[in-house]
Amino acid sequence: MRWTKADTTQYIPEKQYIDTVIIPLIPFDPGNDQQMVKQAFQRELNQVFTNLIEKEYKGRIFLAPDYHYLEGSQANETERINRWIHKFKEQPFHHIFLFTFDSKWKKYEAELEGHVLWVPGMGSGDIQSTETQSFVKEQAHQISELIQAYW
Amino acid sequence: MSDKKRVSRRQFLNYTLTGVGGFMAAGMLAPMVRFAIDPVLKTKEGGDFVSVASVDELTNEPQRFEWTIDQVDAWYESEVQKTAWVYRNENDEIVALSPICTHLGCTVDWASNEEYPNQFFCPCHAGRYTKDGTNVPGTPPTAPLPRFEFKVEEGMLYLGETKDSGGGA
Repeated sequence: MRWTKADTTQYIPEKQYIDTVIIPLIPFDPGNDQQMVKQAFQRELNQVFTNLIEKEYKGRIFLAPDYHYLEGSQANETERINRWIHKFKEQPFHHIFLFTFDSKWKKYEAELEGHVLWVPGMGSGDIQSTETQSFVKEQAHQISELIQAYW
Repeated sequence: MSDKKRVSRRQFLNYTLTGVGGFMAAGMLAPMVRFAIDPVLKTKEGGDFVSVASVDELTNEPQRFEWTIDQVDAWYESEVQKTAWVYRNENDEIVALSPICTHLGCTVDWASNEEYPNQFFCPCHAGRYTKDGTNVPGTPPTAPLPRFEFKVEEGMLYLGETKDSGGGA
């Protein structure tokens, strides 16, 4: 399920079946020329990943709107993420996953009220290339297995 | 030059007005006619058959085949990946099933659950389908897996759109 009119309409009567949320955590820094390309690539990659997982498990996983934050501001963001999580838990969603390529979140995992799914990602590459596609498929498959272990 | 051949002011105005009026009437009527016969002229989007696999590859065991189609929505044109489970049944007929669970749209897998080695299994809510796509009563799905329309040409299997198998166990 996604944050779209069609999916949310379907979600409300079937709430009992959809108990898992994935929130993509996406860093960016529009003031930094060196980081810009890499961050934009990671954002694209993150969307490909989460869309793939959502497609495969549409009936049980809700893909939240992307959570964007300024690079390196983890310390100030934990509270805001937890506010998102509380809102989702009101639904009730039981399993909250935070999907990110930003390893800095690992340090703050204890303060967060969801599971951090950190994936090493790719430094650079071509989102359309077959290597990227097979990498993403393989990794997404393993992440889905991890999520299933929580069900 | 006789006066007879000259166009009088009255005639000239008549001709011009009829001409202009005719154009205006045609301009108004043409879109109406176009609307009226529109369904006939419309080409069917997405109704094409796509070559998916060679017929020789098919076995009695369902195999997963993937292909992409260009899907045009109102705002986006995107490549959409499609998947099908294809096999030959006991009567040697080809069966192509959609992997989309009829419960809430997860992707079902063949024989992925050890307890049910001869069924399609949905990992989301343990929905099950028999090999011919019929939903197993007592599991969440209420309708069988849709089947793809297919045709075989020159040894290649072409898949089209899905159609509901109807009914439901």
